[in-house]
Amino acid sequence: MRGFGAFLGKEFREIVRTWRIWVLPGIVLFFAISGPPLAKITPELLSSFVPADSGMVIQMPDPTYVDSYLQWTKNLQQIVLFTVIIMFGGIISVEKKSGTATLVLTKPLSRTAFVISKTLSALVLLVVTVCVGALATWGLTYAIFAEAPLAPIAQATGTWLLTGALFLALMVALSAAMDSQAGAAGLGFLGFIVLSIATLWKPAMDYSPAGLLSAPTTLVMGESATLGWPIATTVALTLACVAAAVLVFRKREL
Amino acid sequence: MSAAIEVAGLTKVYGAKRALAGVDLTVPTGSVFGFLGPNGAGKTTTLRILTGLAAPSGGEARVFGHDVVSATNQVRADIGFLPDVPGYYEWMTAPEFLRFAGSLFGIGGRVLDERVEALLDLAGLTGVRQKIGGYSRGMKQRLGVAQALINAPKLLMLDEPTSALDPIGRKEVLDMISSLGGRTTVFFSTHILSDVDRVCDTVAILHEGRVVTQAPIGELKSRYGTSKLVVGVTEGADALAAAFRAEPWAAEVARGDNGSIKITVADLESARRAVPAMVAAAGVGLTRFETGEVSLEEVFVDLVGGER
Repeated sequence: MRGFGAFLGKEFREIVRTWRIWVLPGIVLFFAISGPPLAKITPELLSSFVPADSGMVIQMPDPTYVDSYLQWTKNLQQIVLFTVIIMFGGIISVEKKSGTATLVLTKPLSRTAFVISKTLSALVLLVVTVCVGALATWGLTYAIFAEAPLAPIAQATGTWLLTGALFLALMVALSAAMDSQAGAAGLGFLGFIVLSIATLWKPAMDYSPAGLLSAPTTLVMGESATLGWPIATTVALTLACVAAAVLVFRKREL
Repeated sequence: MSAAIEVAGLTKVYGAKRALAGVDLTVPTGSVFGFLGPNGAGKTTTLRILTGLAAPSGGEARVFGHDVVSATNQVRADIGFLPDVPGYYEWMTAPEFLRFAGSLFGIGGRVLDERVEALLDLAGLTGVRQKIGGYSRGMKQRLGVAQALINAPKLLMLDEPTSALDPIGRKEVLDMISSLGGRTTVFFSTHILSDVDRVCDTVAILHEGRVVTQAPIGELKSRYGTSKLVVGVTEGADALAAAFRAEPWAAEVARGDNGSIKITVADLESARRAVPAMVAAAGVGLTRFETGEVSLEEVFVDLVGGER
Protein backbone atom coordinates (compact mmCIF):
# COMPACT_ATOMS: atom_id res chain seq x y z
CA MET A 1 0.00 0.00 0.00
CA ARG A 2 2.83 2.41 -0.84
CA GLY A 3 1.73 6.01 -1.28
CA PHE A 4 -1.65 5.39 0.37
CA GLY A 5 -1.57 8.33 2.79
CA ALA A 6 -0.32 10.84 0.23
CA PHE A 7 -2.87 9.78 -2.38
CA LEU A 8 -5.74 9.68 0.14
CA GLY A 9 -4.87 13.25 1.14
CA LYS A 10 -5.04 14.25 -2.53
CA GLU A 11 -8.46 12.57 -2.84
CA PHE A 12 -9.90 14.53 0.09
CA ARG A 13 -8.47 17.81 -1.22
CA GLU A 14 -9.93 17.01 -4.64
CA ILE A 15 -13.40 16.46 -3.11
CA VAL A 16 -13.28 19.78 -1.30
CA ARG A 17 -11.86 21.79 -4.21
CA THR A 18 -13.83 20.48 -7.20
CA TRP A 19 -17.43 19.83 -8.31
CA ARG A 20 -17.56 16.76 -6.06
CA ILE A 21 -18.29 18.89 -3.00
CA TRP A 22 -21.42 20.31 -4.67
CA VAL A 23 -23.11 17.35 -6.39
CA LEU A 24 -23.77 14.66 -3.77
CA PRO A 25 -23.97 16.99 -0.74
CA GLY A 26 -26.12 19.43 -2.77
CA ILE A 27 -28.64 16.74 -3.76
CA VAL A 28 -28.75 15.11 -0.32
CA LEU A 29 -29.14 18.40 1.57
CA PHE A 30 -31.78 19.68 -0.84
CA PHE A 31 -33.98 16.65 -0.21
CA ALA A 32 -33.13 16.55 3.50
CA ILE A 33 -34.32 20.13 3.92
CA SER A 34 -37.32 20.00 1.57
CA GLY A 35 -38.65 16.64 2.88
CA PRO A 36 -40.18 17.66 6.25
CA PRO A 37 -42.11 20.75 5.00
CA LEU A 38 -43.26 18.74 1.97
CA ALA A 39 -44.58 16.01 4.27
CA LYS A 40 -46.46 18.67 6.26
CA ILE A 41 -48.20 20.27 3.28
CA THR A 42 -48.81 17.14 1.17
CA PRO A 43 -52.39 16.51 2.47
CA GLU A 44 -53.36 20.16 1.87
CA LEU A 45 -51.68 20.02 -1.53
CA LEU A 46 -53.71 16.97 -2.53
CA SER A 47 -56.95 18.49 -1.26
CA SER A 48 -56.33 21.62 -3.32
CA PHE A 49 -56.38 19.54 -6.53
CA VAL A 50 -60.05 18.64 -5.95
CA PRO A 51 -62.38 21.35 -7.36
CA ALA A 52 -64.44 22.96 -4.59
CA ASP A 53 -67.73 22.43 -6.46
CA SER A 54 -67.11 18.73 -7.19
CA GLY A 55 -68.59 17.53 -3.94
CA MET A 56 -65.62 15.18 -3.45
CA VAL A 57 -63.94 15.10 -0.08
CA ILE A 58 -60.47 13.64 0.41
CA GLN A 59 -59.95 12.54 3.95
CA MET A 60 -56.34 12.08 4.95
CA PRO A 61 -54.86 11.58 8.39
CA ASP A 62 -52.88 14.47 9.80
CA PRO A 63 -49.22 14.19 8.76
CA THR A 64 -46.74 13.07 11.44
CA TYR A 65 -42.98 12.71 11.80
CA VAL A 66 -43.30 9.28 10.12
CA ASP A 67 -44.35 10.98 6.85
CA SER A 68 -41.32 13.24 7.10
CA TYR A 69 -38.99 10.28 7.68
CA LEU A 70 -40.62 8.39 4.80
CA GLN A 71 -39.80 11.31 2.48
CA TRP A 72 -36.15 11.00 3.58
CA THR A 73 -35.90 7.22 3.10
CA LYS A 74 -37.73 7.34 -0.28
CA ASN A 75 -35.22 9.92 -1.54
CA LEU A 76 -32.28 7.89 -0.26
CA GLN A 77 -33.56 4.70 -1.90
CA GLN A 78 -34.03 6.34 -5.31
CA ILE A 79 -32.47 9.73 -6.08
CA VAL A 80 -29.44 9.46 -3.80
CA LEU A 81 -28.71 5.88 -4.89
CA PHE A 82 -28.96 6.90 -8.56
CA THR A 83 -26.62 9.82 -7.86
CA VAL A 84 -24.09 7.39 -6.35
CA ILE A 85 -24.32 5.15 -9.44
CA ILE A 86 -23.84 8.01 -11.92
CA MET A 87 -21.28 10.02 -9.94
CA PHE A 88 -18.98 7.11 -9.13
CA GLY A 89 -19.32 5.36 -12.52
CA GLY A 90 -16.04 7.01 -13.54
CA ILE A 91 -14.27 6.95 -10.18
CA ILE A 92 -11.30 4.97 -11.61
CA SER A 93 -11.75 5.23 -15.38
CA VAL A 94 -11.73 9.06 -15.43
CA GLU A 95 -8.18 9.06 -14.00
CA LYS A 96 -7.13 6.47 -16.58
CA LYS A 97 -8.66 8.44 -19.44
CA SER A 98 -7.29 11.82 -18.35
CA GLY A 99 -3.75 10.46 -17.98
CA THR A 100 -3.42 11.34 -14.29
CA ALA A 101 -3.31 7.63 -13.39
CA THR A 102 -0.31 7.21 -15.73
CA LEU A 103 1.54 10.02 -14.00
CA VAL A 104 0.94 8.84 -10.41
CA LEU A 105 1.22 5.09 -11.02
CA THR A 106 4.71 5.43 -12.48
CA LYS A 107 5.70 6.73 -9.05
CA PRO A 108 5.86 4.50 -5.97
CA LEU A 109 2.06 4.43 -5.55
CA SER A 110 0.71 0.88 -5.73
CA ARG A 111 -2.42 0.16 -7.72
CA THR A 112 -3.98 -1.34 -4.58
CA ALA A 113 -3.40 1.92 -2.69
CA PHE A 114 -4.84 3.84 -5.67
CA VAL A 115 -8.12 1.87 -5.64
CA ILE A 116 -8.47 1.74 -1.84
CA SER A 117 -7.78 5.49 -1.46
CA LYS A 118 -10.43 6.37 -4.02
CA THR A 119 -12.96 4.00 -2.45
CA LEU A 120 -12.33 5.18 1.09
CA SER A 121 -12.52 8.89 0.24
CA ALA A 122 -15.79 8.36 -1.67
CA LEU A 123 -17.19 6.34 1.22
CA VAL A 124 -16.30 9.09 3.70
CA LEU A 125 -18.00 11.65 1.43
CA LEU A 126 -21.11 9.46 1.22
CA VAL A 127 -21.31 8.70 4.96
CA VAL A 128 -20.68 12.27 6.11
CA THR A 129 -23.11 13.73 3.56
CA VAL A 130 -25.91 11.28 4.38
CA CYS A 131 -25.40 11.65 8.16
CA VAL A 132 -25.55 15.47 7.85
CA GLY A 133 -28.68 15.07 5.70
CA ALA A 134 -30.27 12.76 8.27
CA LEU A 135 -29.52 15.24 11.07
CA ALA A 136 -31.05 18.07 9.00
CA THR A 137 -34.20 16.01 8.37
CA TRP A 138 -34.40 15.04 12.05
CA GLY A 139 -34.03 18.68 13.23
CA LEU A 140 -36.56 20.05 10.75
CA THR A 141 -38.98 17.23 11.53
CA TYR A 142 -38.83 18.15 15.22
CA ALA A 143 -39.30 21.83 14.40
CA ILE A 144 -42.35 21.16 12.20
CA PHE A 145 -44.04 18.20 13.93
CA ALA A 146 -42.80 18.74 17.53
CA GLU A 147 -41.99 15.04 17.64
CA ALA A 148 -38.96 13.34 16.10
CA PRO A 149 -37.59 10.18 17.73
CA LEU A 150 -33.97 9.69 16.79
CA ALA A 151 -33.84 5.88 16.71
CA PRO A 152 -36.00 5.20 13.60
CA ILE A 153 -34.22 7.70 11.35
CA ALA A 154 -30.80 6.63 12.67
CA GLN A 155 -31.56 2.94 12.05
CA ALA A 156 -33.05 3.62 8.60
CA THR A 157 -30.13 5.84 7.55
CA GLY A 158 -27.57 3.36 8.87
CA THR A 159 -29.24 0.52 7.00
CA TRP A 160 -29.36 2.55 3.78
CA LEU A 161 -25.68 3.44 4.16
CA LEU A 162 -24.84 -0.26 3.87
CA THR A 163 -26.75 -0.42 0.57
CA GLY A 164 -25.09 2.84 -0.50
CA ALA A 165 -21.64 1.40 0.31
CA LEU A 166 -22.47 -1.74 -1.69
CA PHE A 167 -23.39 0.28 -4.78
CA LEU A 168 -20.32 2.50 -4.32
CA ALA A 169 -18.10 -0.62 -4.22
CA LEU A 170 -19.92 -2.01 -7.27
CA MET A 171 -19.23 1.21 -9.17
CA VAL A 172 -15.54 1.10 -8.15
CA ALA A 173 -15.29 -2.46 -9.52
CA LEU A 174 -17.11 -1.59 -12.77
CA SER A 175 -15.05 1.58 -13.23
CA ALA A 176 -11.83 -0.38 -12.69
CA ALA A 177 -12.90 -2.91 -15.31
CA MET A 178 -14.18 -0.61 -18.07
CA ASP A 179 -13.25 2.76 -19.56
CA SER A 180 -16.76 4.08 -20.15
CA GLN A 181 -18.39 5.95 -17.26
CA ALA A 182 -21.79 5.66 -18.99
CA GLY A 183 -21.31 1.91 -19.49
CA ALA A 184 -20.43 1.41 -15.83
CA ALA A 185 -23.41 3.51 -14.73
CA GLY A 186 -25.67 1.46 -17.03
CA LEU A 187 -24.48 -1.77 -15.40
CA GLY A 188 -24.93 -0.15 -11.98
CA PHE A 189 -28.58 0.60 -12.82
CA LEU A 190 -28.95 -2.98 -14.03
CA GLY A 191 -27.67 -4.13 -10.62
CA PHE A 192 -30.27 -1.92 -8.93
CA ILE A 193 -33.07 -3.37 -11.09
CA VAL A 194 -31.95 -6.95 -10.38
CA LEU A 195 -31.88 -6.22 -6.64
CA SER A 196 -35.32 -4.58 -6.82
CA ILE A 197 -36.78 -7.62 -8.61
CA ALA A 198 -35.13 -9.90 -6.04
CA THR A 199 -37.21 -8.22 -3.30
CA LEU A 200 -40.21 -10.13 -4.71
CA TRP A 201 -38.59 -13.45 -3.75
CA LYS A 202 -38.67 -14.22 -0.02
CA PRO A 203 -35.38 -16.17 0.25
CA ALA A 204 -33.59 -13.24 -1.41
CA MET A 205 -35.22 -10.85 1.06
CA ASP A 206 -34.15 -13.03 3.98
CA TYR A 207 -30.56 -13.76 2.96
CA SER A 208 -29.33 -11.25 0.36
CA PRO A 209 -28.76 -7.47 0.08
CA ALA A 210 -32.28 -7.26 -1.39
CA GLY A 211 -33.50 -7.46 2.21
CA LEU A 212 -31.87 -4.09 2.96
CA LEU A 213 -33.40 -2.29 -0.01
CA SER A 214 -36.82 -1.76 1.60
CA ALA A 215 -35.60 -1.96 5.20
CA PRO A 216 -35.29 1.84 5.75
CA THR A 217 -39.01 2.28 5.02
CA THR A 218 -39.93 -0.62 7.30
CA LEU A 219 -37.78 0.77 10.13
CA VAL A 220 -39.15 4.35 10.06
CA MET A 221 -42.69 2.96 10.14
CA GLY A 222 -41.83 1.32 13.44
CA GLU A 223 -42.10 -2.22 12.13
CA SER A 224 -39.58 -4.85 13.15
CA ALA A 225 -37.19 -6.36 10.61
CA THR A 226 -34.75 -9.27 10.84
CA LEU A 227 -31.69 -7.98 9.02
CA GLY A 228 -28.80 -10.18 10.20
CA TRP A 229 -28.29 -12.10 6.97
CA PRO A 230 -28.97 -9.17 4.62
CA ILE A 231 -26.43 -7.05 6.54
CA ALA A 232 -23.84 -9.85 6.51
CA THR A 233 -24.24 -10.57 2.78
CA THR A 234 -24.22 -6.84 1.93
CA VAL A 235 -20.96 -6.28 3.83
CA ALA A 236 -19.42 -9.41 2.29
CA LEU A 237 -20.46 -8.37 -1.22
CA THR A 238 -19.14 -4.84 -0.66
CA LEU A 239 -15.73 -6.17 0.35
CA ALA A 240 -15.78 -8.63 -2.56
CA CYS A 241 -16.46 -5.77 -5.02
CA VAL A 242 -13.52 -3.75 -3.64
CA ALA A 243 -11.25 -6.81 -3.80
CA ALA A 244 -12.39 -7.46 -7.39
CA ALA A 245 -11.68 -3.82 -8.28
CA VAL A 246 -8.12 -4.14 -6.91
CA LEU A 247 -7.46 -7.42 -8.72
CA VAL A 248 -8.87 -6.17 -12.05
CA PHE A 249 -7.05 -2.85 -11.88
CA ARG A 250 -3.72 -4.51 -11.05
CA LYS A 251 -4.00 -6.54 -14.25
CA ARG A 252 -5.07 -3.67 -16.49
CA GLU A 253 -2.69 -1.90 -18.87
CA LEU A 254 -2.66 1.87 -18.61
CA MET B 1 30.00 1.87 -18.42
CA SER B 2 27.09 -0.01 -16.78
CA ALA B 3 23.64 -0.05 -18.34
CA ALA B 4 20.69 2.00 -17.12
CA ILE B 5 18.34 0.06 -19.38
CA GLU B 6 18.87 -3.41 -20.82
CA VAL B 7 16.22 -4.81 -23.13
CA ALA B 8 16.50 -8.21 -24.84
CA GLY B 9 14.07 -9.75 -27.30
CA LEU B 10 11.20 -7.62 -26.03
CA THR B 11 7.88 -8.33 -27.75
CA LYS B 12 4.40 -6.94 -27.35
CA VAL B 13 1.37 -8.21 -29.17
CA TYR B 14 -2.07 -6.54 -29.23
CA GLY B 15 -4.46 -9.04 -30.78
CA ALA B 16 -3.22 -9.57 -34.33
CA LYS B 17 -0.90 -6.53 -34.16
CA ARG B 18 2.75 -6.98 -33.22
CA ALA B 19 3.77 -3.66 -31.68
CA LEU B 20 7.26 -4.86 -30.65
CA ALA B 21 8.94 -7.63 -32.61
CA GLY B 22 12.02 -8.35 -30.49
CA VAL B 23 13.59 -5.10 -29.28
CA ASP B 24 17.22 -5.28 -28.14
CA LEU B 25 18.55 -2.15 -26.51
CA THR B 26 21.24 -1.02 -24.09
CA VAL B 27 21.19 2.47 -22.64
CA PRO B 28 24.51 3.39 -20.99
CA THR B 29 24.36 5.08 -17.59
CA GLY B 30 24.96 8.82 -17.86
CA SER B 31 23.99 9.11 -21.50
CA VAL B 32 21.36 11.36 -23.07
CA PHE B 33 19.84 8.68 -25.22
CA GLY B 34 17.59 9.40 -28.19
CA PHE B 35 15.04 6.69 -28.96
CA LEU B 36 14.15 7.57 -32.51
CA GLY B 37 11.50 6.10 -34.75
CA PRO B 38 8.59 6.96 -37.02
CA ASN B 39 5.09 7.17 -35.57
CA GLY B 40 3.83 3.68 -34.72
CA ALA B 41 7.33 2.16 -34.53
CA GLY B 42 6.80 1.04 -30.91
CA LYS B 43 8.54 3.80 -28.91
CA THR B 44 5.63 4.50 -26.55
CA THR B 45 4.94 0.77 -26.12
CA THR B 46 8.58 0.23 -25.09
CA LEU B 47 8.36 3.08 -22.58
CA ARG B 48 5.05 1.80 -21.19
CA ILE B 49 6.65 -1.59 -20.56
CA LEU B 50 9.75 -0.05 -18.97
CA THR B 51 7.59 2.01 -16.58
CA GLY B 52 5.31 -0.90 -15.62
CA LEU B 53 2.20 0.53 -17.30
CA ALA B 54 2.01 -2.44 -19.68
CA ALA B 55 3.21 -6.02 -19.52
CA PRO B 56 5.51 -7.48 -22.18
CA SER B 57 4.35 -10.44 -24.28
CA GLY B 58 7.89 -11.84 -24.31
CA GLY B 59 11.55 -11.03 -23.74
CA GLU B 60 12.94 -9.13 -20.80
CA ALA B 61 13.62 -5.57 -19.73
CA ARG B 62 15.73 -4.37 -16.83
CA VAL B 63 16.25 -0.92 -15.33
CA PHE B 64 19.46 -0.69 -13.29
CA GLY B 65 19.37 -4.48 -13.12
CA HIS B 66 15.77 -4.66 -11.79
CA ASP B 67 13.27 -6.64 -13.82
CA VAL B 68 10.46 -4.26 -14.86
CA VAL B 69 7.79 -6.95 -14.34
CA SER B 70 8.80 -8.51 -11.02
CA ALA B 71 10.50 -5.53 -9.35
CA THR B 72 8.25 -2.63 -10.29
CA ASN B 73 8.64 -0.90 -6.92
CA GLN B 74 12.44 -0.66 -7.20
CA VAL B 75 12.15 0.48 -10.83
CA ARG B 76 9.61 3.21 -10.05
CA ALA B 77 11.72 4.49 -7.15
CA ASP B 78 14.68 5.01 -9.51
CA ILE B 79 12.92 6.64 -12.46
CA GLY B 80 11.21 9.85 -13.43
CA PHE B 81 8.71 9.64 -16.26
CA LEU B 82 6.97 12.13 -18.52
CA PRO B 83 4.29 10.56 -20.77
CA ASP B 84 3.59 12.00 -24.24
CA VAL B 85 0.41 13.74 -23.06
CA PRO B 86 0.77 14.27 -19.31
CA GLY B 87 -2.49 14.42 -17.35
CA TYR B 88 -2.61 16.69 -14.31
CA TYR B 89 -5.04 17.44 -11.51
CA GLU B 90 -5.98 20.74 -13.04
CA TRP B 91 -7.31 22.21 -9.79
CA MET B 92 -3.77 22.13 -8.35
CA THR B 93 -1.08 24.78 -8.79
CA ALA B 94 2.42 23.79 -9.94
CA PRO B 95 3.95 23.92 -6.40
CA GLU B 96 1.04 21.81 -5.08
CA PHE B 97 1.49 19.22 -7.82
CA LEU B 98 5.24 19.00 -7.23
CA ARG B 99 4.66 18.60 -3.47
CA PHE B 100 2.09 15.89 -4.13
CA ALA B 101 4.45 14.10 -6.54
CA GLY B 102 7.24 14.30 -3.95
CA SER B 103 4.98 12.93 -1.20
CA LEU B 104 4.31 9.83 -3.32
CA PHE B 105 8.06 9.13 -3.07
CA GLY B 106 7.94 9.72 0.69
CA ILE B 107 9.91 12.97 0.37
CA GLY B 108 9.00 15.71 2.81
CA GLY B 109 10.27 18.54 5.00
CA ARG B 110 13.10 20.79 3.91
CA VAL B 111 14.30 18.42 1.19
CA LEU B 112 10.93 18.70 -0.55
CA ASP B 113 10.78 22.48 -0.05
CA GLU B 114 14.20 22.91 -1.64
CA ARG B 115 13.46 20.57 -4.55
CA VAL B 116 10.12 22.22 -5.31
CA GLU B 117 11.76 25.63 -5.34
CA ALA B 118 14.65 24.46 -7.56
CA LEU B 119 12.39 22.62 -10.01
CA LEU B 120 9.95 25.52 -10.33
CA ASP B 121 12.94 27.65 -11.19
CA LEU B 122 14.22 25.09 -13.72
CA ALA B 123 10.76 24.94 -15.33
CA GLY B 124 10.40 28.72 -15.37
CA LEU B 125 7.26 28.50 -13.24
CA THR B 126 8.42 30.35 -10.13
CA GLY B 127 5.74 32.78 -9.01
CA VAL B 128 3.06 31.36 -11.32
CA ARG B 129 -0.05 31.23 -9.12
CA GLN B 130 -2.44 30.06 -11.82
CA LYS B 131 -3.99 26.57 -11.58
CA ILE B 132 -2.55 23.97 -13.95
CA GLY B 133 -5.86 23.88 -15.88
CA GLY B 134 -5.00 27.32 -17.25
CA TYR B 135 -1.48 26.43 -18.42
CA SER B 136 -0.29 26.45 -22.03
CA ARG B 137 0.97 23.20 -23.59
CA GLY B 138 4.57 24.37 -23.16
CA MET B 139 4.08 25.18 -19.47
CA LYS B 140 2.52 21.74 -18.93
CA GLN B 141 5.47 20.01 -20.63
CA ARG B 142 7.98 21.99 -18.55
CA LEU B 143 6.05 21.10 -15.40
CA GLY B 144 6.05 17.51 -16.67
CA VAL B 145 9.84 17.44 -16.81
CA ALA B 146 9.99 19.09 -13.36
CA GLN B 147 7.64 16.55 -11.73
CA ALA B 148 9.66 13.73 -13.29
CA LEU B 149 12.75 15.10 -11.52
CA ILE B 150 11.19 15.48 -8.04
CA ASN B 151 12.81 12.25 -6.76
CA ALA B 152 16.23 13.13 -8.25
CA PRO B 153 15.86 10.04 -10.48
CA LYS B 154 18.79 7.97 -11.69
CA LEU B 155 16.94 7.62 -15.01
CA LEU B 156 14.64 10.18 -16.63
CA MET B 157 12.31 8.78 -19.30
CA LEU B 158 10.58 11.23 -21.62
CA ASP B 159 8.05 10.16 -24.23
CA GLU B 160 7.89 12.59 -27.16
CA PRO B 161 8.32 15.62 -24.88
CA THR B 162 8.42 18.17 -27.70
CA SER B 163 6.16 16.72 -30.38
CA ALA B 164 3.14 18.99 -29.80
CA LEU B 165 4.99 22.18 -28.91
CA ASP B 166 5.55 25.39 -30.86
CA PRO B 167 9.19 26.34 -31.63
CA ILE B 168 9.57 28.40 -28.45
CA GLY B 169 8.06 25.67 -26.26
CA ARG B 170 10.33 23.10 -27.93
CA LYS B 171 13.42 25.19 -27.32
CA GLU B 172 12.51 25.64 -23.65
CA VAL B 173 11.97 21.93 -23.07
CA LEU B 174 15.12 20.97 -25.02
CA ASP B 175 17.12 23.48 -22.97
CA MET B 176 15.81 21.81 -19.80
CA ILE B 177 16.85 18.37 -21.10
CA SER B 178 20.27 19.66 -22.22
CA SER B 179 20.90 21.06 -18.76
CA LEU B 180 20.46 17.56 -17.27
CA GLY B 181 23.31 16.04 -19.30
CA GLY B 182 25.91 14.47 -16.99
CA ARG B 183 23.62 14.66 -13.95
CA THR B 184 21.25 11.80 -14.77
CA THR B 185 20.63 9.30 -17.55
CA VAL B 186 18.02 10.62 -19.98
CA PHE B 187 16.04 8.29 -22.25
CA PHE B 188 14.16 10.40 -24.71
CA SER B 189 11.78 9.07 -27.36
CA THR B 190 10.94 11.21 -30.35
CA HIS B 191 10.34 11.27 -34.09
CA ILE B 192 11.88 14.74 -34.40
CA LEU B 193 15.39 14.20 -35.73
CA SER B 194 16.69 17.69 -35.05
CA ASP B 195 15.83 17.34 -31.35
CA VAL B 196 17.92 14.18 -31.08
CA ASP B 197 20.75 15.80 -33.03
CA ARG B 198 20.67 18.72 -30.63
CA VAL B 199 20.54 17.11 -27.18
CA CYS B 200 21.44 13.41 -27.42
CA ASP B 201 24.85 11.77 -27.39
CA THR B 202 23.64 8.26 -28.27
CA VAL B 203 20.77 7.11 -30.43
CA ALA B 204 18.80 3.99 -31.26
CA ILE B 205 16.51 3.86 -34.27
CA LEU B 206 13.36 1.79 -33.93
CA HIS B 207 11.47 0.62 -37.00
CA GLU B 208 8.48 -1.71 -37.14
CA GLY B 209 9.03 -2.93 -33.59
CA ARG B 210 12.78 -3.60 -33.91
CA VAL B 211 15.91 -1.59 -33.16
CA VAL B 212 17.65 -1.27 -36.53
CA THR B 213 20.74 0.48 -35.18
CA GLN B 214 22.18 1.82 -31.95
CA ALA B 215 25.35 3.90 -31.59
CA PRO B 216 26.76 7.21 -30.41
CA ILE B 217 25.51 9.86 -32.85
CA GLY B 218 29.00 10.78 -34.09
CA GLU B 219 29.85 7.15 -34.80
CA LEU B 220 26.54 6.62 -36.57
CA LYS B 221 27.07 9.62 -38.83
CA SER B 222 30.63 8.64 -39.69
CA ARG B 223 29.57 5.02 -40.30
CA TYR B 224 27.02 6.15 -42.86
CA GLY B 225 28.99 9.23 -43.98
CA THR B 226 31.81 7.08 -45.41
CA SER B 227 29.49 5.91 -48.14
CA LYS B 228 28.78 9.43 -49.38
CA LEU B 229 30.92 11.53 -51.71
CA VAL B 230 30.42 15.13 -52.75
CA VAL B 231 32.10 16.16 -56.01
CA GLY B 232 32.26 19.76 -57.27
CA VAL B 233 33.18 20.65 -60.88
CA THR B 234 33.59 23.92 -62.76
CA GLU B 235 31.20 22.94 -65.57
CA GLY B 236 29.45 19.94 -67.18
CA ALA B 237 28.07 18.60 -63.88
CA ASP B 238 24.99 17.07 -65.52
CA ALA B 239 27.05 15.04 -68.03
CA LEU B 240 29.44 13.87 -65.32
CA ALA B 241 26.51 12.88 -63.04
CA ALA B 242 25.15 10.75 -65.88
CA ALA B 243 28.58 9.15 -66.34
CA PHE B 244 28.87 8.40 -62.62
CA ARG B 245 25.42 6.78 -62.67
CA ALA B 246 26.69 4.23 -65.19
CA GLU B 247 29.57 3.17 -62.92
CA PRO B 248 29.21 -0.05 -60.87
CA TRP B 249 30.54 1.63 -57.66
CA ALA B 250 27.78 4.30 -57.72
CA ALA B 251 24.57 3.28 -55.94
CA GLU B 252 22.83 6.63 -56.27
CA VAL B 253 23.77 9.95 -57.86
CA ALA B 254 22.04 13.29 -57.27
CA ARG B 255 22.80 16.80 -58.50
CA GLY B 256 23.46 19.45 -55.88
CA ASP B 257 23.82 23.24 -56.06
CA ASN B 258 26.63 25.11 -57.84
CA GLY B 259 28.02 22.24 -59.92
CA SER B 260 28.08 19.73 -57.08
CA ILE B 261 27.21 16.05 -57.42
CA LYS B 262 26.26 13.88 -54.43
CA ILE B 263 27.13 10.21 -54.84
CA THR B 264 26.11 7.34 -52.58
CA VAL B 265 28.81 4.76 -53.28
CA ALA B 266 28.79 1.00 -52.97
CA ASP B 267 32.62 0.78 -53.13
CA LEU B 268 34.37 3.84 -51.70
CA GLU B 269 37.93 2.89 -52.76
CA SER B 270 36.95 2.35 -56.41
CA ALA B 271 35.05 5.64 -56.37
CA ARG B 272 38.06 7.52 -54.94
CA ARG B 273 40.24 6.21 -57.77
CA ALA B 274 37.73 6.65 -60.58
CA VAL B 275 36.16 10.06 -59.86
CA PRO B 276 39.28 12.31 -60.34
CA ALA B 277 40.17 10.38 -63.52
CA MET B 278 36.68 10.83 -64.95
CA VAL B 279 36.67 14.55 -64.10
CA ALA B 280 40.06 14.97 -65.80
CA ALA B 281 38.91 12.99 -68.83
CA ALA B 282 35.90 15.31 -69.13
CA GLY B 283 38.29 18.27 -69.28
CA VAL B 284 36.68 20.22 -66.43
CA GLY B 285 38.11 21.57 -63.19
CA LEU B 286 37.62 19.76 -59.87
CA THR B 287 36.52 22.25 -57.15
CA ARG B 288 35.47 19.82 -54.41
CA PHE B 289 36.07 16.16 -53.63
CA GLU B 290 35.23 15.03 -50.13
CA THR B 291 33.54 12.43 -48.02
CA GLY B 292 30.00 13.64 -47.50
CA GLU B 293 28.77 15.05 -44.18
CA VAL B 294 25.74 12.88 -43.51
CA SER B 295 22.86 14.20 -41.43
CA LEU B 296 20.95 12.13 -38.88
CA GLU B 297 17.95 12.56 -41.15
CA GLU B 298 19.76 10.84 -44.02
CA VAL B 299 20.78 7.97 -41.73
CA PHE B 300 17.21 7.68 -40.51
CA VAL B 301 15.73 7.71 -44.00
CA ASP B 302 18.28 5.13 -45.16
CA LEU B 303 17.42 2.80 -42.28
CA VAL B 304 13.65 3.09 -42.25
CA GLY B 305 13.21 3.21 -46.00
CA GLY B 306 12.03 6.80 -46.23
CA GLU B 307 9.05 6.18 -43.99
CA ARG B 308 8.48 9.01 -41.50
